[in-house]
This record gives sequence, structure tokens and C-alpha cells, in this order.
Amino acid sequence: MNISRREFLKYCGISAATLGLTPVDLKALAAVLARPDAPTVLWLHGSSCTGCSVSLLNYISDTSPHDITEVLTQSINLAFHPTIMALSGEASAAALHQAAESGPYVLVVEGGIPTAFDGHACVVYSYNGHEVTMQEAVQHFSAKAAAVICVGTCASYGGIPHAGPNPTGVVNVRELTGRPTINISGCPANPAWVIWAVVQLILGNQVPLDSVGRPIALYHAHGLIHHSCPRNPAVGGEEATSFADCQGKCLINLGCRGPFTEAKCENCWNGKEGQGHWCIGVNAPCHGCVEPTFPGPQSFYEPYLPESLT
Amino acid sequence: MPIITASIDPVTRIEGHLKIDIEIDTVQGVQQVVEARAIGTLFRGFEKILGGRDPRDATIITSRICGVCPTSHAFCASLALDQVCGIQPNTAGRLLRNLVHGACFLESHLLHFYLLSLPDYIDGPNMAPWMPGLAIEKRLDPATSALLQSHYVEAITMRRLCHEMGAIWGGKLPHTPAFIGGGFTALASAEQIADFRARLTQIRNFVFETYLPDVERLAGLYLEYFSIGRGHGNLMSFGVYEQDNAGQVRLFEPGHIENGEGPVASVNSAVIQEHIDYSWYTDSASARHPADGETEGQYPKPGAYTWLKAPRYQDLPYECGPLARMKVHGTYSGGVSVMDRHLARAREAEILVDAMLAWLDELPEETSAYTPCTIPQTGQSAGMTEAPRGALGHWLSVDQQKIARYQVITPTCWTVSPRDTMNQRGPLEEALVGTPIADAAMPVEALRVIHSVDPCLDCATHVVEPGTLTSAS
Repeated sequence: MNISRREFLKYCGISAATLGLTPVDLKALAAVLARPDAPTVLWLHGSSCTGCSVSLLNYISDTSPHDITEVLTQSINLAFHPTIMALSGEASAAALHQAAESGPYVLVVEGGIPTAFDGHACVVYSYNGHEVTMQEAVQHFSAKAAAVICVGTCASYGGIPHAGPNPTGVVNVRELTGRPTINISGCPANPAWVIWAVVQLILGNQVPLDSVGRPIALYHAHGLIHHSCPRNPAVGGEEATSFADCQGKCLINLGCRGPFTEAKCENCWNGKEGQGHWCIGVNAPCHGCVEPTFPGPQSFYEPYLPESLT
Repeated sequence: MPIITASIDPVTRIEGHLKIDIEIDTVQGVQQVVEARAIGTLFRGFEKILGGRDPRDATIITSRICGVCPTSHAFCASLALDQVCGIQPNTAGRLLRNLVHGACFLESHLLHFYLLSLPDYIDGPNMAPWMPGLAIEKRLDPATSALLQSHYVEAITMRRLCHEMGAIWGGKLPHTPAFIGGGFTALASAEQIADFRARLTQIRNFVFETYLPDVERLAGLYLEYFSIGRGHGNLMSFGVYEQDNAGQVRLFEPGHIENGEGPVASVNSAVIQEHIDYSWYTDSASARHPADGETEGQYPKPGAYTWLKAPRYQDLPYECGPLARMKVHGTYSGGVSVMDRHLARAREAEILVDAMLAWLDELPEETSAYTPCTIPQTGQSAGMTEAPRGALGHWLSVDQQKIARYQVITPTCWTVSPRDTMNQRGPLEEALVGTPIADAAMPVEALRVIHSVDPCLDCATHVVEPGTLTSAS
């Protein structure tokens, strides 16, 4: 295990520029990872599709930790995650409470938090004979969390369950608790972004955030998708007018939200960083899934303008 | 002995939020489940979210119903859009949909057996989130247990490969933007086809040499699970994977089987009714055709216990999923039980992976997969297909080129449904009754029954809005 922890550091060393780590950070990370007990992470699911958890399982990197197995076995102590944990029933809820009471932890929230029906649109577990709603669970566990990471657009901003008439009164974590959160938005969240955020917290690093709670290093620093898009007419492309003839062409007339979306996306999905895939790579418009405005009432297939500009 | 009441809340290793209440008693000397209630504890209201939107958005929005079967919803919505526009996809469109959907099917089956089900039978690595684990009787010798643990880890990689394969044309998984009414956004290059084939071949080896042998190994050690978890025995499939552009022939054909034994009868969605006597919805009638439904959330409600409604086919509860598909397909001769479900799922993976190799051979290179189509001013359509865990229907009603009504009935709505007006238990509830329980404090036997049907509560927990239901094409 120690060897793998060293490999993890090697990964951080190699990726230091990308991650924004300094040599001092790396030293601190070594100290943390040398502890036999890795930092505890508690993962709650609210009004979600579980897609962000599935996305996390897709994590892959050239350097250690290479994949999600290494993350789970060597980097963090994931004491509660309903989709993969072995325990079930009240025993799993007890594990959650015990982990929270036994020391510092990072709270991860996936999904929005419904407030309709007094929170009973989402009951997450029973404990001591009481049905605990997502609303109660987030309030309880965020209070003592060392940090709260919102994984995905639903937890960060409400996302799709919050759209239209918001049928279940979904709020995001910041609205519910009033405390700051680190928002790793995306529908789903990109697994490399999630792991990056966890590493920052292990290190005790300050994570500079933009005005909507996202790490600048993962979103704003990369600029608008449109600006670096290989289909941008400024680099010689033309604008497509139909999916029947759009190979290599700018998709702005087909609904692309790239001119209003900031994220480290290009070829960063379902593969190693820069060697994977992305929506625009398969002739599909960017749907702006990392933005607080996602999905919005606008069509995904008509030229897009944010409501604030209409 | 008094009857013991036990709750499993949360049921973990599923998608979404599920609570199971069971009553345990000793009957003829055997302690067993004598009553069960399946309780869906999440409600999102997707159909309301879709109302008034551009109908073309349905593929993007409904994908987010489920992060484990996103392409099933995107596929189903695109079928409904093709139909309402009156077009057929071209060959490239049909095959790209099948291939990306197939990638997610395989991902789901591997995830289900290894990550979600296997911890009911073996210990995981000695750390969180696998430890503390279930106090379970260990029937596997240490060497077999270690082998299965190593396959668990390998399956994590294999399921990732499935998504990487699907993303070649899907762009990003879960939640691809590539399924559209009229076809598919991507077109296939020779290099991509070779890349897809290389990954599929690797996955095929795992399915044939590891997955099915592991299920057979487990089944051989737990033979009593061929007679546990039967339930009503009613099986239904809507059919999936179009083999021609008109959708007349499918790899897995639609059909339903009453009480576990043939003959296979055709499916007519006009005889579906939904019951809400035990669901947290208010309505002036307890059972309605979805076309006439009037549904509003009502919590609390006397006698009700779940956010799921109870769909019934000709007044009967039906289970759906790989076992139903394989029985309708005629290639699975076993019964209806916990282990039959696991075996049928693995055998389906074998059939699917070979069909996908054949589709790759047929896939035209560098050919647009989109057939131009226009949303009509008004129209109605029904997309009917299969998700990994069973029958999926999307019913679309368009008015002034907007979504007037959108209805979704998911596989888990069928399988994990509550009691109906006739007080018949839902399929999972019925399957639980009679399950022997050694330790009422940790009813792992009940978990094995629950996991065998692969519940996905993310899909199930939403309301079906009033609307018009048309027959399946």
C-alpha cells in the first residue's frame, strides 16, 4: 500500500502543473497519505440519477491513482456510499453515523435536495426508527463536515430536477445550508475533476472558486468552450445548418452552448485527460451542462442565448 | 414465536432510494418472509419538467432519469421522436443507436453482477466501503472467493471499457448527447470502428470466459436459489435492438408469458392500467388507463406506502428484465428464480456481444446517421424498448410543436410496484414471500432476492402525468 501511495504522489508530481500543486503541497500530501487511515469521505445521494457515481467509476489516468480501484483502496476511506457499499439497511446508516462521529470527514453530495412534502420526496435511510430525509441528512452532516463537495449540477445548482416548475421544490446544498460548497458541476461531473477536488482537500489547499462556487482551475481557467473549439469558424470552419451535414462544422445554429460554457472538457471524457471524448467530438452541440443555467427552458437545438441576455 | 418486523432501509447496491419492509415468521419449521412491502422513497416528477419544452429535448432530459441506463431513455425518446415525425432512421442511425445502447447494456450487466450483487455472497476487500460487510455464511472456499474478488476488480475495468467504447460515438457517458430524433449525431470512421471492435472483443472475452462462468460457479454453490424468489412468474418484454430500419424485426422480440411457462403472447400496451391505492398520489379512481390518469402527489396518505404506482397488464403484475427477454427469445429454458435471473442476464450478454460484432460489420463508414425530420404541429407517439432491467415506454404528445404531455413507464415501475386494487402484491414483493431467513437481524437472503431483479429506483420514482396512451407500433 505504501508503494501505491508513493505512486499517488508521483502522479501528483507529474500532474503538478495541471493540478496547481507546489512542492510544499506534495510534501504535505505525503504526510497525509502516510497515515494508516485515509481521510473519510461520506457520500449522500439526493434527487439524483446516480450518474455522477457511475461517472466516478469511469475515472482513468496515466499515472497513479490509475483508476477508481486505486482511489478507493489507497486514497480515501469511503465510509458511506449507498451504490457500492456492502452493508445494507440500518447497519449502513449506523456506519454513516459512526464515521461522522469518529473524526473529520469530507461530505460529498450528489443530487438536489427536495423540500416538498416536508422533505419526504426523498428519504435516504432509517435510523433509530426515524425516516431521515435528504434535507435532514444534508443539514446534519454538513454542519460538522471539514468541507462539502457538490458533485454534479443537481447538488451544485439544482440541475434537471429543479427545472421547469421544480415539482419537488429542489434546492441546492448552498441554498439549504447557507455554507460554502465546492461545486464540481457537470451532468455528470467529470471524474477527474472530482478526484482533483478531493486531492486539494487532502492537502488542505485553499481552492480558489468562481462566483458560482466552482474551482477556477477546472472551469474559468479554461475559458469558453467556443474559444478553443476546433470547429470555431475563426479557425477556418463553417457553420452547420443540419445534423445531416455537420462533420467538422460549428454547431452554433444547432444549439451549441459553447459560447457561454466554461470547463476543462475537450477530449476529457471516458478516457485519459486529452485522449478521451467529448460531446463536440461526436457532432453534438455543447449543452452547457456545467452551468448554473442548465438545463433552462430553452431548446437544446435552437441557437442559444442565456435568459439573462434575452 | 411472534412475527418479526424488519426494515431494510436503505437497500444499498441499487440505483436510487428503496426501502423494504418484511415480516418474518416460522412456517412448518422454517423461518421465512411472510409479508413484504417495497417502498420507493424518491419522487422527482420528470414529466412535469418536460412539459412545454421542444420535443427534441426529450432525448437529453430523459437520459437524466437514470445514470445507469441513460441510453435506454435517450433511445426510447428518439424512437418516439422518429415516430411523431413520421420517419425511419437510416442504417447508420439504427446501428449507431444499437451499438451505443449495447455498450451501456453490457456496462449495466457487469456492474449489476459484480458490484451490486456479488457482495451478497462474498466478502470484498478488507476496507471501506466493503468492510464492515454482511455477516454471511461463506460457501465459497478461500481460493474461489479470492478469484471472484479479483474478477470484481477486473469487472470495474471492464465496465469502464464498455463506457469508453460507447463514448467513441456517444461522446460522453453517462448522458450522451448523440441520440437525436432522426438518428444519431456521430458518423463512423474506419479507425473508430476498429477501436470499437478491439474493445468489444476484450469485453466479449470477459463475458464468455469470466462473467458467465462466475455466475454458473455461484449458482452451483447456491442451488436452493433456483427455487427462491419466484414471485408471480409473469414475464414481459417490449423488445429491443432493431434489426431493420422499419423496426419490424428486433434482436429481442416483444412478448409476454403468463405464470412462467409459454406460450409467448404479443404485447398490447392498450391493456396497461395503473393503480394508486397504495401510492402517495391522489385520484378520484383507484385504477386507470394512463391515458385517463389524474395524478397529484399526496403525502401522507392513509394506506399508501410508496412513490411508485402499480402498473398492471390485463390486471396482472408482470416482472420484466433479462429473464423475461430470454424466455420470450426462447433461448433460456430455466425457471423463474434468483439464480435464473442472474444466469439469463449473463447469457443475454453473450448474445448481445455477438450481435454487436455483426452490427459493426454492417455499419457504413463516413455516412451521416441523420435523417432530416420536422416536429409536427400536433402528434402522438410511443417509443417502446428495453432498458437493461426491462420494459421501457415513453409516450409523447405534441401540441404547437411543444411537449403537451410526456409519460414514462420504466422497468422498475413494473417490478418494484406496490399492491394494486385487487390487493395483489407487486412482483418483487411476491418474490420475497417465502424466502427463508436465517438471521432476522441481517436478512441477507432477502437482499439476494431484491438484487436479482436489479431495481433502479432512479428510474422508477416519478409520476406519470395524465395523457394519451397509444398502442405500441
